[in-house]
Amino acid sequence: MSGPIQAALLAQAAPLAASAAILLGLRRHPAAAAAVAIAALGAGFAASTYLVLAVANGSAMAQAVWLPMADGRGLAFGVLLDTLSTTMALVVSAVTLAVMVYSLGYMAGDPGFARYYGFLSLFAAAMLGLVLASNLLQTLVFWELVGLASFLLIGFWFDRPGPAAAARKAFIMTRVGDVGFLLGVLLLIRTLGNATIPELVAQAGPGGAFSPRFTAIVASLLLMGVIGKSAQGPLFTWLPDAMEGPTPVSALLHSATMVAAGVYLVARLHGLFAAAPDVMRVLLWVSLVTAVAAATMAMVAEDIKRVLAYSSISQLAYMLMALAAGSVAAGFFHLVTHAGFKALLFLSSGIFIHHAHSNAMREIAAHSPTRQRAATIGLVSGSLALAGVIPFSGYFSKEAVLATLGVHAGAAALVLAYLGAGLTAYYAARMVFLTLRGGQQHGSPTAPHPTLAQQAAATMMGVPVLVLSALTLILGWTGSWLAARLSPGAEPHAALELGAGPLTALALAGLGIALAWREYGAKGAARTGFVDRFPALRAFFADNWYLDRLYGASVVRAAGWLSRAARWHDQQVLDGAGDGLAAGTTRGGRMLARVQGGQVQMYVAIAVAVLVALAVWLAYAEGLR
Amino acid sequence: MNPGTLVFGISAATALVGALLAVGLRNIFHNILGFALAMLGVAGVFLGLGSDFLAAVFVLVYVGAVAIAMVYAVMLSHPLDQPARPRSAAKVWGAAGLAAGAAAALWMLVRGAPWAAGPPVEPVGAAGIGARFLTDYVLAFELISVLLLVAMMGAVMVARQNREGTGRW
Amino acid sequence: MVSLNAVLGVATMLFGIGLYGLLQRRSLVAMLISLELMLAAVSMNVIALTSRAGADASMGQVVVLILIGVAAAEAAVALSLFVAIHRSAHTIDVEQLSEMKG
Repeated sequence: MSGPIQAALLAQAAPLAASAAILLGLRRHPAAAAAVAIAALGAGFAASTYLVLAVANGSAMAQAVWLPMADGRGLAFGVLLDTLSTTMALVVSAVTLAVMVYSLGYMAGDPGFARYYGFLSLFAAAMLGLVLASNLLQTLVFWELVGLASFLLIGFWFDRPGPAAAARKAFIMTRVGDVGFLLGVLLLIRTLGNATIPELVAQAGPGGAFSPRFTAIVASLLLMGVIGKSAQGPLFTWLPDAMEGPTPVSALLHSATMVAAGVYLVARLHGLFAAAPDVMRVLLWVSLVTAVAAATMAMVAEDIKRVLAYSSISQLAYMLMALAAGSVAAGFFHLVTHAGFKALLFLSSGIFIHHAHSNAMREIAAHSPTRQRAATIGLVSGSLALAGVIPFSGYFSKEAVLATLGVHAGAAALVLAYLGAGLTAYYAARMVFLTLRGGQQHGSPTAPHPTLAQQAAATMMGVPVLVLSALTLILGWTGSWLAARLSPGAEPHAALELGAGPLTALALAGLGIALAWREYGAKGAARTGFVDRFPALRAFFADNWYLDRLYGASVVRAAGWLSRAARWHDQQVLDGAGDGLAAGTTRGGRMLARVQGGQVQMYVAIAVAVLVALAVWLAYAEGLR
Repeated sequence: MNPGTLVFGISAATALVGALLAVGLRNIFHNILGFALAMLGVAGVFLGLGSDFLAAVFVLVYVGAVAIAMVYAVMLSHPLDQPARPRSAAKVWGAAGLAAGAAAALWMLVRGAPWAAGPPVEPVGAAGIGARFLTDYVLAFELISVLLLVAMMGAVMVARQNREGTGRW
Repeated sequence: MVSLNAVLGVATMLFGIGLYGLLQRRSLVAMLISLELMLAAVSMNVIALTSRAGADASMGQVVVLILIGVAAAEAAVALSLFVAIHRSAHTIDVEQLSEMKG
């Protein structure tokens, strides 16, 4: 197994080295920086592809002791290769590669071009490290590195107030969840002596050393990190704000990386979570509520990127609910297809935004968007996948999720999930119609002839979009392969059988699309949604269900009090002690300075006296007499 | 009284008297002469203990070289034209007290220590020392050579007059 | 034969006299003289203690020779420093050389 392990190390090390080289040496050479970054990630992509082919079943692990401990146990650093991690590594590197190529066009001419590629490489390295980590502490390290890289990327235009604030918010809110994660990892290390993933999953499972109570505590602590990272439940509000970053970054964060890290962690430790059924039930309901809530917010958003952000939250919730209901294969399948179509949607919207210089969908519609053919194809196919229309990829994976829920979760959960699916279709269609249709044409109807550089940029942006569009048609058929790969024993789910479930889902999707057509798409439509007739409800949806205000009134204000108290303590108690210490030192120093009179012979006298006294004392202490 | 004891007695007395002259007299030249006398006395003690070679080296180095160097240093540095300032009594008595106390404490330690007090061993001649220096202690020997060379060069550099006004040597 | 204690006693007195001079004399040259006296006392002790049975007599002499070498080097550097100090401060009185005053 040494070949795959070297490939895994290469996949992590190449982007990391590229990032270091770019940030340290190539800041002034944008073209070289992009070339290095893409070459390194290309190597990572090739390595990941090889890994997927080489690791067909079972798992391999290579570890080196990182922090040895006194009792012979220790924390190791290594790679864990199995079907899950290799598949995820492939998804991550593929999406990142697409984003990097796309960014060649999107970020062209930006003064921070090289820095951008440095951060992207760092992000890729951190994410691949997280995916391939063999040890939960190592996972945490890369988890935080991913957080750091996303902070840097969201706040890439740090000289503008919006991105800077959004980056801070993202960093701090995910940090809230990470406290739980850290505590969970520490608890595990304290009990187990290490945090090697297969071992702790084994210990948590039947016949393991963990008591159910302990497993539940650890699982709920780890879940806090998941909820923060994957923008679920109460901690989701950072994600829409993170749209302030460059659009390719949003594509990256939302599809296969950052937010998917939380989902991946649950899949990775599914054995542990499955041993804590109460925690899983909490996760199920949190994700159900999140799925519906985020869908309602997406229904009223006017900014295309915010619509996509809410849809990410909602779709992540679908992945988590599948995991919570017990199916790694379904949740991971949805992760894969979502990675494809969400990256596609963001990259397509990036092209529109690039041309309209605005994120507002009505504003984009006014700039004859359908002339961007690649982007139009991408937006439509991505939205169809999001809405879950057969034969686009989203249909298959969502169907797998819903089927899992139907088998394991009960009717109430299933109803909520179907409601979310219908709303998803509605807002996806609304987004397409608002962006592409109608809109009074203003500005020049015939665009000026594009320059050569603009054409090159358009190609760079168009190619990944078209590739991903094709993928939305292909990825859906990988479900049974994935299921067989991830859980070989289980019955492959028959998503293609048109039973009552799939028909219901398809009907709901059609209903949502039809409603959106009537309100936004049809000729002479009012271009207002049914929600707009209830201003209070609309405001509630548009304002993140008032969660940010709630935080502002409760958590933030409490934090303000706390920090004021801390400041008082700092100034009065700590600084007071410091000042007192300083004054005492000064006084003592003045007293002692008299000894340092510059008289060499006085020094000699003191030295001799002390030495003789010491000699006598030592002699007597040694018992010479 | 056998000759060895006699030699020791005379030498010890010479050393102590010379030492007293070296620190007690006020004229720095007299001090140097007293120092030379004390070193002669110490060399005599060595002779009495059977270390003839060492006695010769002591005389050569201290009486012959160091004392002469001191005379040169005094001639180059001592402002003989300035009247000596009176000594402070507190300093004299403090120094004497501390020195006497230290000597007494050391004597107590020395007397109390369990030295191996056997009969005298056969003295080692210059040939034996030379052999040791070129075999077991060759590293120390080389180090001392280097140290002396460096000290000589350093002394020359430090004492050299720099060229007037240029700030360079 | 001379008793060991007699030699050690003489050495201790020599050391004390040297210490007194080191603490009391103001001239740097006189202080150096005192220091050399103390070193001579140490050499005397080494020779006395290694001239008895059970000790390696030649090693004592080797040690003392090294001591003499170091002392000579020290004297040479110290004396040249005195000359240099005198050139810049126009005195070698330690009571007046107090620029290192704290």
